[in-house]
Amino acid sequence: MSAGLILRSNVSRAIARRAALRSSFQARNVSQDHNKYVPGGPVYQGTVNDATTFPPASRVHGSYHWSFERLLSAALVPMTAAAFVTTGSNYPVLDGLLGLSLVMHSHFGFDQVLLDYVHKRKFPVIAPIANWTLRAATVGALVGVYQFNTNDIGLTELIAKVWGA
Amino acid sequence: MQSIALAKQALRASAPSKIFARSLATATQKPVLLKEFKIYRWNPDQPEEKPKLQSYTIDLNQTGPMILDALIKIKNEMDPTLTFRRSCREGICGSCAMNIDGQNTLACLCRIDRSPTKNTKVYPLPHMYIVKDLVPDMTQFYKQYKSIQPWLQNDNPPTQGEFLQSIDDRKKLDGLYECILCACCSTSCPSYWWNQDEYLGPATLMQAYRWIADSRDTHTEERKDRLQNDMSMYRCHTIFNCSRTCPKGLNPAAAIAKIKLELAVE
Repeated sequence: MSAGLILRSNVSRAIARRAALRSSFQARNVSQDHNKYVPGGPVYQGTVNDATTFPPASRVHGSYHWSFERLLSAALVPMTAAAFVTTGSNYPVLDGLLGLSLVMHSHFGFDQVLLDYVHKRKFPVIAPIANWTLRAATVGALVGVYQFNTNDIGLTELIAKVWGA
Repeated sequence: MQSIALAKQALRASAPSKIFARSLATATQKPVLLKEFKIYRWNPDQPEEKPKLQSYTIDLNQTGPMILDALIKIKNEMDPTLTFRRSCREGICGSCAMNIDGQNTLACLCRIDRSPTKNTKVYPLPHMYIVKDLVPDMTQFYKQYKSIQPWLQNDNPPTQGEFLQSIDDRKKLDGLYECILCACCSTSCPSYWWNQDEYLGPATLMQAYRWIADSRDTHTEERKDRLQNDMSMYRCHTIFNCSRTCPKGLNPAAAIAKIKLELAVE
C-alpha cells in the first residue's frame, strides 16, 4: 500500500515536473512572439539594475583610429592643393601619395558605414562578407592606382585632362 | 497725484459701463479657437492593434500656453486613457520629453502653435520601446548612464572639510551639470537609433565628460579608457541633432568633441 503510494507520488511529481518544463518552454516561445511586450525591448542584457558593459578597451579601435582618420582627412586638403598647382609627371611621389591617401580615406569612410549599419552583432553572415568585400575593393583600387601611376599618365594628369576636355 | 485724480475723473465721466463690463470679463467670453492635436496612441493590452494617431480638438482659449497643458486638458476632459509622463511642469524633471511636431522637446517648455489651421502632432521619443502611448521605456538609457559611473571618485579625499576647487575648474562644469537626462538628445541621434545597445548616446557621453572634466575626480584615466573602443563613443559622427534639440540649451556635441580631443592627445 505504502509502496504504491510512493510510486504514485513519484509519478505525479514527474508529471508535474514535465508540465512545469513544458510551460517554461511555452513561456519562452511566447516571449519571442513579436506582439508580446518585452520591457525595454530585446536590447538590454541582465536585469534593469545592471549597468551596460563596455567592449574591451583598445586604443587601436578608439583614439588612434580616430586621430589617424582626422589627420588623413586634414592632410588631403594641402595634398589636393599641391596636386592642383603641380603636375603629376614632375612629382610622381606626390601623385602616388595622393592616390594612396584617397583610397585609404574612402576605405575608412566605408568602414564607418559598415560599422554603423552592417555590424557583425546584428548581421553575423552579411557583415564579414561586406567587410572582406570592402577590403578586397580597397586592395584592388590600390593596385589599380599603382599600375595607373607607374604605367600610365597618373592620377593628377588624368584629372587635369578630364578637366580640360 | 493730480494727474491720477484727473484720469480717474475722466474715466468716470467717459464710460462707466465699459469699466463695469471689463471687471466682469472672464475667459469664457474669449472667442473659441479650435486646434487639432494628433497624438500617438498604442496600448500594450491590445498588442495586435497597430499604433495609431488619435485626433483631439480643443479650444486653445480654454487651455494653458504649453503642449503639456493641452495634454493634461485632453486627459482630464476628453480621454482619461491618454498616457504620458509629467511631473514638474517647468522643465526641470525631464519627464515629459516627447516628439512634438518633429522636434524632441519637453512638452512643458514647448508653446502651442496657435495657428488653428495647422494640427500639432505629438509622438513619443523616437526609436524607443514604448510602454504605452507617449511613455517610452528608459531602462536602457538609465543602464547606460549607470555604466559611466556618474559619481565622484577620489582616492585621496581631504582629511577634513570638503573638496576644494578653483573658480576656473568649477567653470568647466557649467553647461554639463544642468543636464536633466530627459533623453531628448540621445533619441534624436541617428547613431543612437541604429546602435542603441552599444553606443552610449549624447546624454550619457556628456555626463561621462562631466566627470572627466571634474578636477575633484581622480579616476579620469579609467573613465577615458572605458570609451577607448569603436562603439561606445566613436559612433558619434558630429551630426549635431543633440545640440539642436536640447530643451535646456546645452551642447552635448561639444562635450563629446572634447572627450575625443582629450583621448586623441593623451
